[in-house]
Amino acid sequence: MAANMYRVGDCVYFETSPKSPYQIRRIEELNKTASGNVEAKVMCFYRRRDLPNPLIQLADKHQMAQSEDSPVAMKLKKICLKTPVGEEQAAQAVLDPALAAMEEESSDLPGTDGLAPKQRHQAKHRELFLSRHVETLPATHIRGKCTVTLLNETESLLSYLNKDDAFFYCLVFDPSQKTLLADKGEIRVGSRYQTEVTNLLKEGEEDPRIGSELETLVWTPEHGLTDRQIDQFLVVSRSVGTFARALDCSSSVKQPSLHMSAAAASRDITLFHAMDTLHKSGYSIESALSSLVPASGPVLCRDEMEEWSASEANLFEEALDKYGKDFADIRQDFLPWKTLKNLVEYYYMWKTTDRYVQQKRVKAVEAESKLKQVYIPNYNKPNAALISSASGGIKPGAVLNGGTNGTAALPPAQLCLSCQVTTSNQWYAWGPEHLQYRLCGSCWQYWKKYGGLKVKTANAFGESEAESTKVRPDGDETALSASHRPHRCTVLNCAKEFKLRAHLARHVATAHGSGEGARPVMKTRAAFYLRASPFTRLARRLARALRRPRHYARSPFSPINLQQVKHECSIAMAGVGVGAADMRASGGIARARGAVGTVANRLAAARGQPSPLARAHEWLLLTPRDRMPKPAHVAFPKPPKAPDGSLMYERVASRAELEARRTEPAPVQPLKRRAFDDINGLDSHVNHSVGTGAGAIREAVAAPPPAKRPNKHPAPMQRPSREQYAAMCARAQATGQPLPAHVFAHVNGKPTNITGRGGRRHVISWMDAPDDLYFRATDTAKVARRTLSCGELRRGARAPWRAMRSGAGAAAAAAAAGAVLATAGAGAGAGAPTGAGKTAGAGAPLQLVILD
Amino acid sequence: MAMQPHSKKRVCYYYDSDIGNYYYGQGHPMKPHRIRMTHNLLLNYGLYRKMEIYRPHKATADEMTKFHSDDYIRFLRSIRPDNMSEYNKQMQRFNVGEDCPVFDGLYEFCQLSAGGSVAAAVKLNKQASEICINWGGGLHHAKKSEASGFCYVNDIVLGILELLKYHQRVLYIDIDVHHGDGVEEAFYTTDRVMTVSFHKYGEYFPGTGDLRDIGAGKGKYYAVNIPLRDGMDDESYESIFVPIISKVMETFQPSAVVLQCGADSLTGDRLGCFNLTVRGHGRCVELVKRFGLPFLLVGGGGYTIRNVSRCWTYETSVALGVEIANELPYNDYFEYFGPDFKLHISPSNMSNQNTPEYLEKIKNRLFENLRMLPHAPGVQVQAIPEDAVNDESEDEDKVDKDERLPQSEKDKRITGEGELSDSEDEGEGGRRDNRSYRTPQPRKRPRLDKDAPALKDELKAEDSKDDVKNMSVEEPKKDTVPNP
Repeated sequence: MAANMYRVGDCVYFETSPKSPYQIRRIEELNKTASGNVEAKVMCFYRRRDLPNPLIQLADKHQMAQSEDSPVAMKLKKICLKTPVGEEQAAQAVLDPALAAMEEESSDLPGTDGLAPKQRHQAKHRELFLSRHVETLPATHIRGKCTVTLLNETESLLSYLNKDDAFFYCLVFDPSQKTLLADKGEIRVGSRYQTEVTNLLKEGEEDPRIGSELETLVWTPEHGLTDRQIDQFLVVSRSVGTFARALDCSSSVKQPSLHMSAAAASRDITLFHAMDTLHKSGYSIESALSSLVPASGPVLCRDEMEEWSASEANLFEEALDKYGKDFADIRQDFLPWKTLKNLVEYYYMWKTTDRYVQQKRVKAVEAESKLKQVYIPNYNKPNAALISSASGGIKPGAVLNGGTNGTAALPPAQLCLSCQVTTSNQWYAWGPEHLQYRLCGSCWQYWKKYGGLKVKTANAFGESEAESTKVRPDGDETALSASHRPHRCTVLNCAKEFKLRAHLARHVATAHGSGEGARPVMKTRAAFYLRASPFTRLARRLARALRRPRHYARSPFSPINLQQVKHECSIAMAGVGVGAADMRASGGIARARGAVGTVANRLAAARGQPSPLARAHEWLLLTPRDRMPKPAHVAFPKPPKAPDGSLMYERVASRAELEARRTEPAPVQPLKRRAFDDINGLDSHVNHSVGTGAGAIREAVAAPPPAKRPNKHPAPMQRPSREQYAAMCARAQATGQPLPAHVFAHVNGKPTNITGRGGRRHVISWMDAPDDLYFRATDTAKVARRTLSCGELRRGARAPWRAMRSGAGAAAAAAAAGAVLATAGAGAGAGAPTGAGKTAGAGAPLQLVILD
Repeated sequence: MAMQPHSKKRVCYYYDSDIGNYYYGQGHPMKPHRIRMTHNLLLNYGLYRKMEIYRPHKATADEMTKFHSDDYIRFLRSIRPDNMSEYNKQMQRFNVGEDCPVFDGLYEFCQLSAGGSVAAAVKLNKQASEICINWGGGLHHAKKSEASGFCYVNDIVLGILELLKYHQRVLYIDIDVHHGDGVEEAFYTTDRVMTVSFHKYGEYFPGTGDLRDIGAGKGKYYAVNIPLRDGMDDESYESIFVPIISKVMETFQPSAVVLQCGADSLTGDRLGCFNLTVRGHGRCVELVKRFGLPFLLVGGGGYTIRNVSRCWTYETSVALGVEIANELPYNDYFEYFGPDFKLHISPSNMSNQNTPEYLEKIKNRLFENLRMLPHAPGVQVQAIPEDAVNDESEDEDKVDKDERLPQSEKDKRITGEGELSDSEDEGEGGRRDNRSYRTPQPRKRPRLDKDAPALKDELKAEDSKDDVKNMSVEEPKKDTVPNP
């Protein structure tokens, strides 16, 4: 079982043609295609026989150089390794005659490396050449496993010969450039590479470095505290954090339950801060406690996870979808008010959330086509080269009962070419057909696996001949066809094929948007538009060739005979005056018909009425503006004009002013009301992004309309001075009201939580906040809206969650469905503060688009 | 082999809370965030409170140019993602761009990583600590004036240079799955630093680290490379790590050790191809710690970040000599460790291509190389007085008394190592004598012969022939090797 399980990374035999030896490949990827087949992306190993001749000689030299460390050999090695040899001449250049002579000598010697000639011969079958060439083959062509390892000079080749299916490689073959290189980096020697080694300090000499300049102590285990005491302090600091969140208004919105506050207060940032505090207060629990709870109120530590608002989180996810993890781009286009560090920190925390887990699941489904292993059963079909009774010259009985039926009578050609046996269970035809060579079963297996015959045949038509006549082209052909195999898109249900890898990459990037590191479609696809010049437009009208505009619009790629167009145009334009042509080219200038009054007068004159202008029919004359009838009621009167003629609009309070107004004690307002304002009023500041803003609340607070992106230029937080601050604290204590949140921001100056922003925003954790909704009005909805009375519309806008009475049957006119849905939800419709109508839906079910 | 029992040590740990927020770029496997994950685990495991925690300074350009070239550091300091286009030529020259991208805060990141290792080395020099840890360091591919393999500034070299002020010989061990080429190259020609790297070799970044790369010039035999194949598991790793390191300790006799703990040799690493568990990886730390030398632990590779933080957390606990529970404590990044939320990981069922025979052969070859070192004990006797600065030396002596075994004891143990195989090798001694007889070596000390039994009989005839050749070639060189 395990033997037939093929994993990514395994080296395997592939059968690409029944007669040639297996190809040796390493599985890089296993992909399931749309049709359910498994394709293996494999890296090629080449055999000696697959290499061009000059390169084989090079390889021999290299091997020899490896086995002998003589200076000549070393020199040779260097040449071999450094000269990418493309052509035969180049190879010859390397082959120094002296070296060649040496080579002869060494190869003639019966195994300087302790190998018999036969073993030497076989060892050559075990040598492979790694390549960086990758191809795709159907996994069903796998015929078994093998191992390929880099030859280490401590190993003898015998260790490979003694093991089945074991290969080694030393060199890397580049099939496109036909070069052979050693896969080896080098350690360079020279003053440009080595360091100057520091001398030992002399006696009495001291290192001038001062420890305190090199490092800052943050914690030491040398303290009087027990583990238990530290644990207790950590618990206390967490509970202080919980309490601080209870006091903090924005936190209490984000974390409606105590458990959530406690969980937020247990994040590591609180613990790190607690440890720092302990260290700074000299490991005295008492003083550490008091610095946890300064006069200004309990310390609050928040990390990026807590810091971010729901809409920021949504933006971030949207941006991740669009740009991937290119945080610089995300920051620039989506979250410019965050620093890069904020983004990175948030990203790694975001990965712990269930949102990420969901995304991962989606990805996992996509990745399902990528397999880790595949089961390929043993291949049992007879090989085409198997000599059956019909094709072989031997009677089946003779083969099967080998020897009993006069095997001695077999002509020499019927012996096994390799091992000369006469009996075998199976015979395989081998070599060029006219020679009628055959191999016994075991030699055939050897040939398939190792690409050679066990013994170097002395026969003139021996191995080399056979190989060069028949097998070599065969092998080349398969290699070639493999390399020209189209690259297939691996995405499910696509499987398009491309000639070049680059095309495939582009296809993946554009069509599936998931190429490695590829930018999504939006960015890579260049937009173009055709700007029609007046002459183009003219040509369109004039030239007969272009008479089928619709056809050309539909197939913009079909060529147009430009010559013909030009010709026709020039003929046509010769006939028409240039002015007229211009006229027509520009599509006709609006006709100057003159004012209505003059036309009327002219008409009157034409009728032969000689009366002067003033006395012409009054109804024909335009009423002067000041005599126009005034409406009974002006909904939006124009503001008064300033002396310079500009309109004077009422000044809208700035954000800082508003905040200042809010921080002032409002004795008029009842206590409860204040708290409400405090929370919701804050929300209205961020409702351009948060999506909780309800129009009604905005009215109540009289906040300005949301600036487009106020966060981009964070207004300097209005921070109270020390004195003001003390006064505020006192006041807050007296009235029992919590301090406004921005005061905490001021208080909380811990080192670990610098967000880089001007001040703390009052945000709602995206986990707790309702999802953003926006309402898209369809035509039917708009029609239905018109059937509603003004009062109903307003009511609907103020209370969007309330179901609408189907407006006196009027809605029914537009909506066959009848029921008017208005379920925009409590926090709906932040996007369009158009007051009315957005909650009125009718006809087709409301299109609620949840921005998730 | 001065093995010490698993003991409690004074441990200093360097960390800057900013380090986790540097981001190499989309799709880049190197994630400094793993250092922050480790840090949070340490806090919640309660290991934080058992160490001295330091925030390192930012290494200055001056400090970095102790190793790196001025123009390279100047380049690093000035390049930013928004002015990259002006530096096209230099980026090519310094190999910055692809593997080593320009990212926001690149220089600061290098400063923090280097600052930690340098501060840690100074700390060890001052003997204010026995073990220093800088998980933000370990960027072992960086070259003198070239970035490489996600590394820009070689904090290890800078740290070792600092250690060399007080230590005659420093040992560098690298258990990253990649070859520690930057460190090896920096000290390729010196005999004061021995670099030992265990790594995957063959069709693998950075392509160096062949068994035959042994150093050059004075540094010949002071670079030790252990090329390994896919699928190394705990057992085989230990089977090669223990003998090699013991032998190195015995022959080189360093007075300080730097261990690069690249966690990409763990099973399931995004880039690695070994099959080590956290335990097997941590075992190396434990073994090195037992030698009781001033010990600098740095990070390194590691691209499956949940396992990296597991590993370095465990190794911190090993350094502290504290047992920690297999159940991971809750922390900000708890969800990363699902679905089991355990500290330890199990190996995969990938096959181990390193056969015992292969490892044995490698080991033997390396032992042969190590035998070429000038004999260490003699060196040490001379080295001690030179090694120290008046009052420091007193301190060191004290430490020696506490931590190290007397020389005589060491010698006994060394003999013991030989004993492991002596019964069969007794006869082989003759062979050894033969060899030494054939190539007369006046400088050979009796100790060398004591090593003899360690030589396994697997040594092939041709190997020993090589040996002979090497030795004779080496003969004049050996004379030039100064015995400090």
